[in-house]
Amino acid sequence: MLRETIKLDMNEVPYLPPHEVMEAAHRGLSRLNRYSDPQDLERLRELLADYSRVPEGHIILSPGSDLLLREMIHTLAEGRKVIMVSPSFFPTVQAAKQLATERLSIRLSPPTFDLNLDLLVNALAEPSLVIIDNPNNPTGDTLLDRRAVEALIENPDVLLVIDEAYYEFSGLTFADMVQSCPNLGITRTLDKAFSLAGARVGYAIAGKAFLDALSSFYAFLPQCSLYAAIEALKNPGYITRNVQRVIEERDRVRRTLDQLGAHVYQSNANFLLVRTEIPDAVSKLAEIGILVSDLSNQMPPGFIRVSIGTREENDAFISGYVRIREAYE
Amino acid sequence: MKRAIGLIVNPVAGMGGSVGLKGTDGEIYKRALELGAKPVVPKRTKDLLFHIQNRDDITLFVAPGNMGEEYVKGSDIPFTVIGTVGRETSAEDTKRISDEMVNGGVELLIFVGGDGTARDICDAINSKVPIVAVPAGVKVFSSVFAVSARAAGEMVDAFVEGSDVTEEEVLDIDEDAFREDRLASRLHGYLLVPSVRTFLQPGKVASSVSRSSVESKQEIAAYVVEEMDGETLYLLGPGTTLRGITDEMGLPKTLLGVDAVLEGKLVGKDLNEKGILGLLRKYERRKIIVTPIGGNGFIFGRGSKQLTPEVIRRVGNESIMVVGTKDKVTQLECLRVDTGDFEVDELLSGYIEVTVGYREGMMVEVRC
Repeated sequence: MLRETIKLDMNEVPYLPPHEVMEAAHRGLSRLNRYSDPQDLERLRELLADYSRVPEGHIILSPGSDLLLREMIHTLAEGRKVIMVSPSFFPTVQAAKQLATERLSIRLSPPTFDLNLDLLVNALAEPSLVIIDNPNNPTGDTLLDRRAVEALIENPDVLLVIDEAYYEFSGLTFADMVQSCPNLGITRTLDKAFSLAGARVGYAIAGKAFLDALSSFYAFLPQCSLYAAIEALKNPGYITRNVQRVIEERDRVRRTLDQLGAHVYQSNANFLLVRTEIPDAVSKLAEIGILVSDLSNQMPPGFIRVSIGTREENDAFISGYVRIREAYE
Repeated sequence: MKRAIGLIVNPVAGMGGSVGLKGTDGEIYKRALELGAKPVVPKRTKDLLFHIQNRDDITLFVAPGNMGEEYVKGSDIPFTVIGTVGRETSAEDTKRISDEMVNGGVELLIFVGGDGTARDICDAINSKVPIVAVPAGVKVFSSVFAVSARAAGEMVDAFVEGSDVTEEEVLDIDEDAFREDRLASRLHGYLLVPSVRTFLQPGKVASSVSRSSVESKQEIAAYVVEEMDGETLYLLGPGTTLRGITDEMGLPKTLLGVDAVLEGKLVGKDLNEKGILGLLRKYERRKIIVTPIGGNGFIFGRGSKQLTPEVIRRVGNESIMVVGTKDKVTQLECLRVDTGDFEVDELLSGYIEVTVGYREGMMVEVRC
């Protein structure tokens, strides 16, 4: 048994944020008896607008982007069919199941997991709320390009939400379209590339239809999270280093697993989708102290999702994988 | 150097399907003939041979008469006949000839049949040489089978080109239990197959009885019954998801057969192809409702042979409804069809909406 559990199951970035960001979070503790100050929230909105290159009025804050997605479904699903892809970010799938009265998913099938855009466009005959994670979680592949987004939002009865939780890793965003496309909304998070999963700061870059519908949604953020997020966005240069390190490690892990005979999919995020012939690989890895994500609730048997950790953590995963494969053979 | 490849065909495989007999083991074959069952294997075998590309690189050894020789004669592949058979063939012939072939130096054995044939081959040759299994039986639940005759041809090519081999399961389905509406299976053994995962069908996975699965079946049933209209004839395929629908209507259901419902009443029970076609002549508005087989995703061509290509053609692609719990559907790579008629299979290919809950659909790819 390894001494310490290695967490590669939640798509966190393994590196701590810079010292100044940690210090800022600490300063937040001194105001723990108070709700967050509206001026601080306003400051965070300004910084996010600057980072996203949109006017400040298009930013909606939330304690986590998953809650924002849930709120969007809660507010906008009435009278609309909720359309998603399958597999998809699981909390959103669950929220749709609980809150939407009519649902349709487009299955992404192995081996390519491509999205059939014509099929999706043809499904938009009635008012719809379309939610697509881009890159997709758990495949790591980008499903939409600009032409696809334009085709989807052409119909004003369609509201399109693109979850760009992994934007910093893919480098692909449609945020610049939001001002001219009222029916386009984008959700993002500081949980991933900003190394702030524990702070839970999410935001939307919202078109007018979303701004109107969510006008009464006002979220206070925890003081520590708010202070940390502001500090992080003042000097966001560190995320470039984070992303670079993750991508280098991601490509190294992928090459190594490939050489070991596992089928590893191309990824534009900070995780890898792996197809393995080892039965119960998730529980076998857990038994030796390595946590990876079990996809059996959304995908055929044999698929696991592995977050990219530090070099040492990734080496431990590779060794663990070899070990359970040898035991299986 | 040419590879020595054997071919054995079970001539009665699949004949019970269209007449609703769920198999041809033992005396049931004679009953199938009385009911007008037609041989299934000639077309399957010809399809297989047609799709082998590396025909110049193989030497074919075939079983005599209707166990192989008859179907190869028309092809351009030279062959040598191995063994002898009487007028009526049996499982013993399959075992004896496959043993002779392997002892005579065959490197790969192709067989055309169902789970029963796979069992006989497994008993005879075990893992001495790899096999390619062409699906033609009524019960084709073992994972040794290729997804279609065409895929089997491609697997033969892969073997000739030097692919690895892997062990796959042979399941033993109790045919008497199957006819009594129970699916009783156990692992019979393993056979080696060319390691080309995409051409192999996953083995059948039994339906889940988890709470979420039961609730999901209830949701599906409630939605389907709510959407039913009084003028349409509904042909309900096999499976527990379909039984959920008849439970909702307060009707009995043949678990492993096809029943027909009209205006909330049962108008046909455990129908064979003839019975279904009779009803289709009588009613203009009709709909087939089926559920995929868990694990391998077949909606037509496995387990519900009564829904023949002719039945599917007459009902029409647009009047086919697929239902299945989300648990089951998300475990599938895709839906599959292998009706034995490639045109019908092509017609069914593409995407279809599967009802996975109350007012909840999933667009899933159908492959052949």
